[in-house]
Amino acid sequence: MTDPIIPQAPEVPEAPAGPYVYDYAASPQRQVVMPKTVPLPSYRTYQAEVKAAAEADEAKWKKMQADYETAKAKAEAEGKDAPKPPVRPVPRKDDNDVKIPWPQEAKDADLLLLQAALGDKVEEIFEQAGELTCQVAKDAILEALHLCRDHADLKYEMLADQSATHYPAAAGFAFSVVYHLTSISRRKRLRLRILVPEGFVPESACAVYPSANWMEREIFDMLGIGFANHPDMTRILCPDDWEGHALRKDYPVVGWGQRDVAFREDRGGMIERIALQKAGQLGINLKQPKAE
Amino acid sequence: MFKNEEMEINLGPQHPSTHGVLRVKLRLDGETITHCKPVIGYLHRGVEKICENQSFFQGQVWTDRMDYCSAVANNLGWAEANEKLFGITVPRRAQYIRTLLNEFNRLASHLIWLATHALDIGAMTVFLYAFREREDILDMNEAFCGSRLTTTAFRIGGLREDLPPGFEKMARKFLAKFPTCLEEYENLLSENRIWKKRTVGVALLSADDAIALGVTGPVLRAAGVPYDIRKAFPYAAYSEMDFEVPTQTAADTYARYLVRMAEMRQSARIIQQCLDGLPEGPVMAKIPKILKAEVNEVYHATEAPKGEIGYYLVGEKGSANPYRFHVRAPGFINLQSLPKMAEGGLIADIVAAIGTLDIVLGEIDR
Repeated sequence: MTDPIIPQAPEVPEAPAGPYVYDYAASPQRQVVMPKTVPLPSYRTYQAEVKAAAEADEAKWKKMQADYETAKAKAEAEGKDAPKPPVRPVPRKDDNDVKIPWPQEAKDADLLLLQAALGDKVEEIFEQAGELTCQVAKDAILEALHLCRDHADLKYEMLADQSATHYPAAAGFAFSVVYHLTSISRRKRLRLRILVPEGFVPESACAVYPSANWMEREIFDMLGIGFANHPDMTRILCPDDWEGHALRKDYPVVGWGQRDVAFREDRGGMIERIALQKAGQLGINLKQPKAE
Repeated sequence: MFKNEEMEINLGPQHPSTHGVLRVKLRLDGETITHCKPVIGYLHRGVEKICENQSFFQGQVWTDRMDYCSAVANNLGWAEANEKLFGITVPRRAQYIRTLLNEFNRLASHLIWLATHALDIGAMTVFLYAFREREDILDMNEAFCGSRLTTTAFRIGGLREDLPPGFEKMARKFLAKFPTCLEEYENLLSENRIWKKRTVGVALLSADDAIALGVTGPVLRAAGVPYDIRKAFPYAAYSEMDFEVPTQTAADTYARYLVRMAEMRQSARIIQQCLDGLPEGPVMAKIPKILKAEVNEVYHATEAPKGEIGYYLVGEKGSANPYRFHVRAPGFINLQSLPKMAEGGLIADIVAAIGTLDIVLGEIDR
């Protein structure tokens, strides 16, 4: 008879002393490049840019002419041949099918109606790529939504989409929230936009369009904009105890590293110790990175 | 002793009828649902964040992996949104081929819906029949782009390649037999007494509720609203196609079944027209190797098999990545109407309600 085989308890070797091989804080994917510009489409900004570019072009041309005059005078004085007269540079044309749709002046009746009805609360109206955009004051969004839904000449029955964008480089606001409305009966689409600063709580659109419920929860989850008078302002895609808001520009693509393991049932701390040791051997930093 | 308390149960997250990892918190009074709350997010991968950190061209592979049953429809919406952002006009032949593939994809997606929906309710046979035809469509996907499910079918500005030789023959062969297949499914289900008992009057959603909740696609059309983006805001080559938008007024599960079956017939009609009228010419517009955006924003919506899929893109001047990439997933918005459909009904009917919404959790959670 042979003795019964008694399995040996595996020995847990000591974890190598830190720093661990893979340090999340130093990982290149963790580094965030913050945007430097504010890509907020606007007819007013576009006009100003076009004007500034034209002025810069004119100034460059004047300088070229002045340089030519001085060079010519100098050459004449020295008895040399006169330099070539300058040629005004023409902007290079790319030979391809890309034709960027620039913002245009608002001519659509819906936008003009909105401006007439809301007055000062409309900050800007313009058209771009065949889409209508109306930017309203952040406090007047509920009024604008009501008007769009109930006005006999607008009749935007459905809120098709609602989303937000983070603009960390902007002054005076941090987010734009856009509402894409669809009129099924009139076959039209309209975009309403508000600009909100950090910490501002805009009115929820749920009272007008119940479909905003989950979309606003998603915005809250992903960008951290809360909405007032929302029936259930909780996270929707991430767990309730998630830290940070993933679609902000200061949130790295790989996240903030592995989450700290909460061993609620592990009273003696044994499982945590083994897990940390195993993770250390694999080169994974289970502990949250320290704040700099 | 009997207790009169309400009982709380969890449907899912790992339940065969939830089509993925969907959890539904239910409160029951006997067999009647008094409260229903869907809990989502188990498949969240951060598609929007990833796409914002990749170039405009690279986003397409992520759209495949959202609604993996209708990857071509997702690709089409993505490609057209980018083309709108850059003002690119796509050649006419490419538009036709896109329409053709998109309609084949609609057939494949509706066949998956029919198969799994019938299986959930208890009709096993249709599952096998529907997958038989879907296999032919996937073979055509494979012939066109080498991949069956995650197609990555299009490029910004057109197509990577023209249709392969022999594709037209495959497509025509499929079209010749498909009407008989549809009749087979309808023979199994349309007048089936058990099927009607499980679907007629189940999971009602009126037109007003559907519009208020943003519901689109066949669920809205089964409530009597003839809203189809292919007709309302034509894109690709749909303005040149002759087809109808089937509607029903009963707004129940059976009406949605009828709408989707009629839609499959219309899709076959569109495919026939695409094959017959396929124009000659190039399939790719002239675009630079690197696309650099200007400050611009677009929202482009197309009619995916499950409803309106919209892409909201924001471009940053001189940047090759989208500044903001947002997807309006049809399943995400449609799933909001589940409590409206299920509350007050029987617990056995919530399986029919989930099936009739035709959800794929990959696009809901993104």
